[in-house]
Amino acid sequence: MTSLEAARELLREFPVADGHNDLPWALREQVRYDLDARDVATDQSAHLHTDIPRLRAGGVGAQYWSVYVRTDSPDPVAATLEQVDCVRQLLARYPEHLRPALTAADLEAARREGRIASLMGAEGGHSIANSLGTLRGLYGLGVRYLTLTHNDNVDWADSATDQPRAGGLTAFGREVVREMNRLGMLVDLSHVAATTMRDALDTSTAPVIFSHSSARAVCDHPRNVPDDVLERLPANGGIAMVTFVPKFVLQAAVDWTAAADENMRAHGFHHLDTTPEAMKVHRAFEERHPRPVATVSTVADHLDHMREAAGVDHLGIGGDYDGTAFTPDGLDDVSGYPNLVAELLDRGWSKADLAKLTWKNAVRVLDAAEDVARGLQATRPPSNATIESLDAPAG
Amino acid sequence: MADLQHDLRPIAAIDDLDDLAEPYPDERVTAAPSYEPVPDPDDAPLTRAHAILAAHPVADGYNGLPWALRRLSCYDLELGERTVETDVPRLRGGHVGALFWSLHLPEGFDGDRAVGATLEQLDRAVNIARTCDEGLRLTVTAGQVADARNRGRVAVLLGPAGAPALGDSLGILRQLHLLGLRALTLTGVSWASDAGLTRFGEEVVREMNRLGVIADLSGASEQTLRRVLSLSRAPVLCGRSAARALRPHPVNLSDDLLAELGAAKGLCLVPLSAEQTGPSVRDVADHLDHVRAVAGAQCVGLSGTYDSGSAHPQELVDASCYPRLIAELLRRGWEESDVALLTWGNMQRVLRGADFTARAVQQRREPSTATISELDA
Repeated sequence: MTSLEAARELLREFPVADGHNDLPWALREQVRYDLDARDVATDQSAHLHTDIPRLRAGGVGAQYWSVYVRTDSPDPVAATLEQVDCVRQLLARYPEHLRPALTAADLEAARREGRIASLMGAEGGHSIANSLGTLRGLYGLGVRYLTLTHNDNVDWADSATDQPRAGGLTAFGREVVREMNRLGMLVDLSHVAATTMRDALDTSTAPVIFSHSSARAVCDHPRNVPDDVLERLPANGGIAMVTFVPKFVLQAAVDWTAAADENMRAHGFHHLDTTPEAMKVHRAFEERHPRPVATVSTVADHLDHMREAAGVDHLGIGGDYDGTAFTPDGLDDVSGYPNLVAELLDRGWSKADLAKLTWKNAVRVLDAAEDVARGLQATRPPSNATIESLDAPAG
Repeated sequence: MADLQHDLRPIAAIDDLDDLAEPYPDERVTAAPSYEPVPDPDDAPLTRAHAILAAHPVADGYNGLPWALRRLSCYDLELGERTVETDVPRLRGGHVGALFWSLHLPEGFDGDRAVGATLEQLDRAVNIARTCDEGLRLTVTAGQVADARNRGRVAVLLGPAGAPALGDSLGILRQLHLLGLRALTLTGVSWASDAGLTRFGEEVVREMNRLGVIADLSGASEQTLRRVLSLSRAPVLCGRSAARALRPHPVNLSDDLLAELGAAKGLCLVPLSAEQTGPSVRDVADHLDHVRAVAGAQCVGLSGTYDSGSAHPQELVDASCYPRLIAELLRRGWEESDVALLTWGNMQRVLRGADFTARAVQQRREPSTATISELDA
């Protein structure tokens, strides 16, 4: 049996529970939620990284669908609700493939039924507009993790890719974490500054997750997790779900991206500008400087290191499909996970360890968060704290 | 089978009852009077009012308690909370069996602030109800309302919210519905204005029908009201409207509109608000008389408007005062059947109608993906 066959067999028993997929955002941007125009029960490889046939081929058994909205959105709360609605429409449309999931028990039920457990995660504190009531509303609608920030700071937490301001979490930020613990909503530390990661680990009584982050020691990018934080995961019980995004995982791609962004700014464009004129400048740059390509092996290097730093009980996978323009060779879309598992088998990972990586750790973390929530709900009412009351400027 | 037929045979003997030699003595044939006669003529209606309300409690269409409680760090609704107009003892004293908690939207809130504020209001309402689950029970369907009543709880329904809460999005409407929203006031948005409903506004009403969210048309323009009456397949509410013929308040309804509302079997909920009805319980009764006469007994109900900032008629200062109002109606000769419709029956009809319509429409219609930009461009 080849390692790829062995990987597929393994995934049949313990499929991938992936921490982050931006299909809802892609559907919003491409077709404004017209699900007829992107029937994901059929091949959508011309438009998307994700469709049901490829999820099946990739051995995906659970997916946190990201209900991401832009940080500069004029109406982040409203847009987040629309994203939640999108996931619900997908669930209603493909019930034979997608199973609504809110709990660890739902994940296991989906695995038994052979359906893909579908959870939701909100990507960025801007989605709650500084309101614990809104946070609870999102939980009520089924959102099971909140990434504390996206690429920009929020008023109560620093992002990895913004200028330090709060120096981690503010008092209100810590209250957000506590309220998430009370609800049973996972604290997601992808995208946040290392200071925020440490503050959240100090505050959270439930396991945290990194829904899509890799190891900073392997590739020095702020989106990745530093070793001192990885080393705290065993005590916390949480997991770091390795992401595939080339510009985070491959040093050459990090450097190339920095140079490309600099080139854009030199031509007077914002580095994320995608207007035709900006794209022309970008293509010209790419012709002169070929884009470095990450591979399955690049991602496996991260997992090897993360296993050393955090331990095999504290790993997971968060591909960030449809949330990134480029993907590694061999992990081109959601059908690629078996290639990663095969690579790890070749590197000597045991089947037991791979089952933890793909499935068991993610289920355990959600289960533990539910446990913590039950305990807290017995002793603490919902928090009515406001950012004004907790983060009032000194004096 | 044979046994069954054998058992059936003796039933023929029942025919023998027709041949009873003697009729029952008079006192056993005459039905007992429904209510104890009371010698004091002023007291009798109040006693009857309590008796009728015990059987047909008040379904109160508008109560602002969640917003009124927002500034109180500590309260006890089950023991009694005198800083507000509504608590469990007074709801019980007033024979309130169900009430809508309005989701107040501060003046000028729109866009994301309106959506966020409504999520917060829903959260606050749910948490308040959960802290007094001996007295209150959150409900969504007509069946749950009846169930809450059978368990001796006051049924709480969430709504109305203001239309800006939708953020001009049907997806958001669906999420608010999932969080428990049951009524939406169709004013204050571009798609339900003085000019009436836009095409997107019509799609909102269809989606509300599909979900079972009841349209509240108090304060809506005449054009909006008329269009919704003809469009909606579920009965609608005017959640806080009295008779304009008696008092020219902008939210009160003209006789024409009352008649149209009645013809569509909608429900006009007369508010216990001095500004809209007048300062005394008799003024409120005048409005109820008038609405009943114009719209019909099946189309009139009550909105306490307690804890919503409005001043109430003197004798109706809090949620415990409904028996006084019902007593006044009895003095005016209202039949028990009409009182029962006013307090409970009509609202149950509207709730059941909304549920039934939702089930029927969901068989035929997918969730609407229409957007305001594509319909109202």
